[in-house]
Amino acid sequence: MKFEFDNNIPIYIQLVEQLKIYIISGKINSGERLPSVRELALQTKVNPNTMQKALVELEELKLVFTERTNGKFVTNDRKIIEKYREEYAYELSKKYFASMEGIGFNISEIIEYLKDLGGDK
Amino acid sequence: MELLECVNINKSFGNKNVLKDVNLTISRGRIIGLLGKNGTGKTTLIKLINDLLTPTTGKVLVNGEEVGIESKKIISYLPERTYLDKSMTVDKVIEFFEDFYANFDPKKARQLFKDLDLDTTQKLSKMSKGMQEKVQLVLVMSRKADLYILDEPLGGVDPATRDYILDTILTNFNEGASVIISTHLISDIERILDEVIFIDKGKILLQSDSDELRRKENSSIDEIFRRMFKC
Amino acid sequence: MLKKLLKYDLQNIYKALIIFYSLSLFFGILTRIFLNIENSFIMNIIGQVCSGITISMIFNILINNLMRLWVRFKNNFYGDESYLTHTLPIDKKTLYLSKILTSIITLFSSVLVIGITLFIAYYSKENIEVIKNLLLPLATIYESTVITIVLAFIFVCFLEIMNMLQSGYVGIVLGHKKNNNKMVFSVLSGFGIYLLTQIFTVLVVFVVALFNKDLMNLFYTMDSLSVSTIKLCIYLAIVIYTLNIFILYFVNSKLFSKGVNVD
Repeated sequence: MKFEFDNNIPIYIQLVEQLKIYIISGKINSGERLPSVRELALQTKVNPNTMQKALVELEELKLVFTERTNGKFVTNDRKIIEKYREEYAYELSKKYFASMEGIGFNISEIIEYLKDLGGDK
Repeated sequence: MELLECVNINKSFGNKNVLKDVNLTISRGRIIGLLGKNGTGKTTLIKLINDLLTPTTGKVLVNGEEVGIESKKIISYLPERTYLDKSMTVDKVIEFFEDFYANFDPKKARQLFKDLDLDTTQKLSKMSKGMQEKVQLVLVMSRKADLYILDEPLGGVDPATRDYILDTILTNFNEGASVIISTHLISDIERILDEVIFIDKGKILLQSDSDELRRKENSSIDEIFRRMFKC
Repeated sequence: MLKKLLKYDLQNIYKALIIFYSLSLFFGILTRIFLNIENSFIMNIIGQVCSGITISMIFNILINNLMRLWVRFKNNFYGDESYLTHTLPIDKKTLYLSKILTSIITLFSSVLVIGITLFIAYYSKENIEVIKNLLLPLATIYESTVITIVLAFIFVCFLEIMNMLQSGYVGIVLGHKKNNNKMVFSVLSGFGIYLLTQIFTVLVVFVVALFNKDLMNLFYTMDSLSVSTIKLCIYLAIVIYTLNIFILYFVNSKLFSKGVNVD
């Protein structure tokens, strides 16, 4: 795991965001055991306390759960993961549309454009 | 009982006041940045905590007791200068630390020296200054201490070495311990800090949780610091 | 902890001294060999040169021993190394005691090596006879033996060197209580303290003299003193020097344990 950070935003918020992407993209599978807090902190080069805070937040989002003796796991509930994935996709698209509209595209033009782009690929 | 408390500390040399009414509390399990420009009293404060200076007034308490033998057992200190007897070999220095510090882990130190590809039969005087500093860092981080105090560990090093130093600190500090890192190079280090302390002209201006501060000011610690001191 | 401290203090001093010890012994042996080859002018010249070197080595040992002890004291307690020394979990008094014990041990061994060197280089029946004849009148006057006189002399010298050494230590401790010009103040207060110990010595002798007419003559007349008075003087010297050493030890130990302010 290699994270890039923007020092202007609280580190734990960025950690939550990036770990979320790891989970919804399936880089970490549902049901998979997460490395220990210390291990994760080392991999991402952040303070263990900050990592701990981020994981607590992920637990509140129900993306991660703790098994008392075994450590932390990614949720088994695929529906939750799917929900966050859609949410994330929606946010991304909204931003994209907003930007495109900013340079004068209307909705149908954007869709046309995307189709063409898909064809090129 | 707090890990470290500074109570109303003043320190003057002649008629020059270097520290003014410093009050400070450090809890367990935190990584704290002691941030300030050069010559603002960072090193003086650190030396007071390590019994290398005596306060003019006020006192330093470690686990509720004034500094002394007990505090030295649990504080692992990296000064900003090279402080080993340079006529010693690295092996000898390992032996020295083993002799005097009950919480020193020689196996860990040897492993870290091996990772550095360092020949431990070599005398310190035969090594570059940068290497000597790495040797000291390894020794200091190989103690299972309650409080690590690192004075300017990143001063004047190249980016690769900087990464090595930060990695070594993060990987090796004893779980549950606190780490105080003094520096004026904030952007390199701020993401590993739980807490920041700003010091200027011998006064503590601010002590805050670092993410809290980022959220409140909507910018990086480095930027907040620059704005505050206009440098 | 004292044992471990001693180990490193002694190692540090002996690392350098051992070179001078071996050189001194080496030239002592050469002197003996070359001076004993008879009927050779050149060999004799070489022998004389070796003899000169041996003598200079002997002074070298003493001067080096003293200087190294002072330098180690300064570096270890107030130089860069002090950052390690004063953060060791050890009482300051123990740190100081280790330095004093190191001084006694190394000075003693230096005196021993010097003795052995002299013995190797110059021992012969005739030389011993010369010394004996030189000292015998003295010994008879003082109703003592030659060997006692030699030992008493060496012992007083030893005490005097220790006194000098420790005055230097007190000077270094006092000098480093200042904020500037630490080295200058160290040297000055070192000399000052040494002078004080000498004044103290004279003062004590004077006080004793108040109760001893013969001794009082020391201050008023140039007359030669009686044997018993001179004996008293020697005993007094030994007692006072020893006292000096202990007083300086306790004063310095106290000053030092009040805390340091290193640069």
